[in-house]
Amino acid sequence: MEIHEGAAVASDSVLDFSRLSLTTFNLNSVSDERKRDTKQLYLNYNRLGSLPSSVSLFCNLEFLDISNNGLSAICEGITRLTRLKTLIAKNNRLDEFSLPKEFGSLQLEVLNFSGNRFEEIPLQCMKLLRLQSLSFGGNRLKSIPDEIENLTSLELLYLGGNLITAIPPEVANLPYLSYLVLCDNRIQSVPPQLTRLHSLRSLSLHNNLLTYLPREILCLVHLQELSLRGNPLVVRFVKEMTYDPPSLLELAGRTVKSRNIPYYPYDLPSNLMRYLDLASKCPNPKCAGVYFDSCVRQIKFVDFCGKYRLPLMHYLCSPECTSPCSSNPQSDAESEEESSVPAYRLQRVLLG
Amino acid sequence: MEHTEVVKPESLDELIKILHKIFESDSINVEEVQDIMEAYDSNPQDWMRYAKFDQYSTFDGCSKKSNRTWKNRYTRNLVDEGNGKFNLMILCWGEGHGSSIHDHTDSHCFMKLLQGQLKETLFEWPDSKSKGEMVQKSQRILQENKVAYINDSIGLHRVENGSHTECAASLHLYSPPFQSCQTFDQRTGHRNTVKMTFWSKKGERTPFETAFSQENN
Repeated sequence: MEIHEGAAVASDSVLDFSRLSLTTFNLNSVSDERKRDTKQLYLNYNRLGSLPSSVSLFCNLEFLDISNNGLSAICEGITRLTRLKTLIAKNNRLDEFSLPKEFGSLQLEVLNFSGNRFEEIPLQCMKLLRLQSLSFGGNRLKSIPDEIENLTSLELLYLGGNLITAIPPEVANLPYLSYLVLCDNRIQSVPPQLTRLHSLRSLSLHNNLLTYLPREILCLVHLQELSLRGNPLVVRFVKEMTYDPPSLLELAGRTVKSRNIPYYPYDLPSNLMRYLDLASKCPNPKCAGVYFDSCVRQIKFVDFCGKYRLPLMHYLCSPECTSPCSSNPQSDAESEEESSVPAYRLQRVLLG
Repeated sequence: MEHTEVVKPESLDELIKILHKIFESDSINVEEVQDIMEAYDSNPQDWMRYAKFDQYSTFDGCSKKSNRTWKNRYTRNLVDEGNGKFNLMILCWGEGHGSSIHDHTDSHCFMKLLQGQLKETLFEWPDSKSKGEMVQKSQRILQENKVAYINDSIGLHRVENGSHTECAASLHLYSPPFQSCQTFDQRTGHRNTVKMTFWSKKGERTPFETAFSQENN
């Protein structure tokens, strides 16, 4: 049985062709039997400009590492590797045009494209329904596609080190997402819908452009680790100064709602029915008020585990409507009472 | 000044033997320890068994689902207890992992890069009166095999793996050993004491050290 000179064979099913300065991958030296038996193939740290289509001859391949080459495209032959579960292709020259058309048909569970030149996540990747771990760290992504919600098996999503400006609320539709890395991006706000990520254990948001967090973040019951350093988080109590006085329509709507005046479809045109249904409750528990469009943004601090003061944002129906404990805005001892978060939540906050 | 000949340790085990000898005496020559640690050329075969990269990256090439525990932070893996004079451990940093700003509880701290790169940012101790942003002194990127030294009189530091593609591993020596330290909020200088825990000891995973571990420094 001929093996390429220099290749290490750790066990029958592992073929290690890494770090051999290969410019091409000549499969002729590998016997047919070996090709059938190989489950893990290492081709990382070579100088491959392209991956030969004949890689598909490794018909039982489960793990393929082609990292640290000069690959600018992935051959179509890879889609014939029906057993492939893990593909590691870090540090190449791949972009969103590099993937073969049927890439989405693979049964991948782990996919790592970090250190490439992707400006967007290709749609073929959104078809990998078995995907549990996805990394596009250190690319040039400007956004996260809404279709990310299709990856219903996803547990880990690594998007650190890109140019992402916003998190689509569709991320919250990933039921098993445990580990979400968004550090080193340009994110200005976190959508409150993320509170639906009941499985989230770890959230990495350091080095972004966050000035506050939505108060819903307190609802992430299983969150154990949260990194927030390197964000321009508001340190002192900030009250939003601008406040547009409510319109007549809004004042009427507030009166109807807060006085529980009954109304029926035959009383009102449908557009006013819809308007009244949009009323939001003022989060101040001592206030029974509602608001429609006109509300005051207020940043409140929450003491996380006795360690930090995180600015959380919530809406109030009017500037006069404050929560019970905000009497001294400059006080360091200020803490959130209305939603009493047990101290054992958010055990380790990597704020420092 | 006379330099004693530095014997080049050929393996991690040899380095540990030499360190035991050096630490027999009660006083430490910082340069001597730094030199001997730097003289050891990192060989993953020596330390792989301690390097618990227990997170998503398929570092070991086979990620059985039961072995995967997603972690947002680095792991501390004890290698040797130095006859009570020092603790030697390997820290494994996944992509993007970083530490808090922390002190070293009056101990010497030596840190050697075994693999990858780490960014070290030095900070001044915060003034107990001032409540502003902490003052950064300097920043550097440590390359493989280099050894950095710090103690409380030099200042505080934050250590980070800034890479989004590569893991990093570092060898740390603390003398005398310590179990807790202070962490600092960069925005306010607010400090907090935390207990330090080990992810593994001598290559064995130690998950039940404390019920609620607070910080892996």
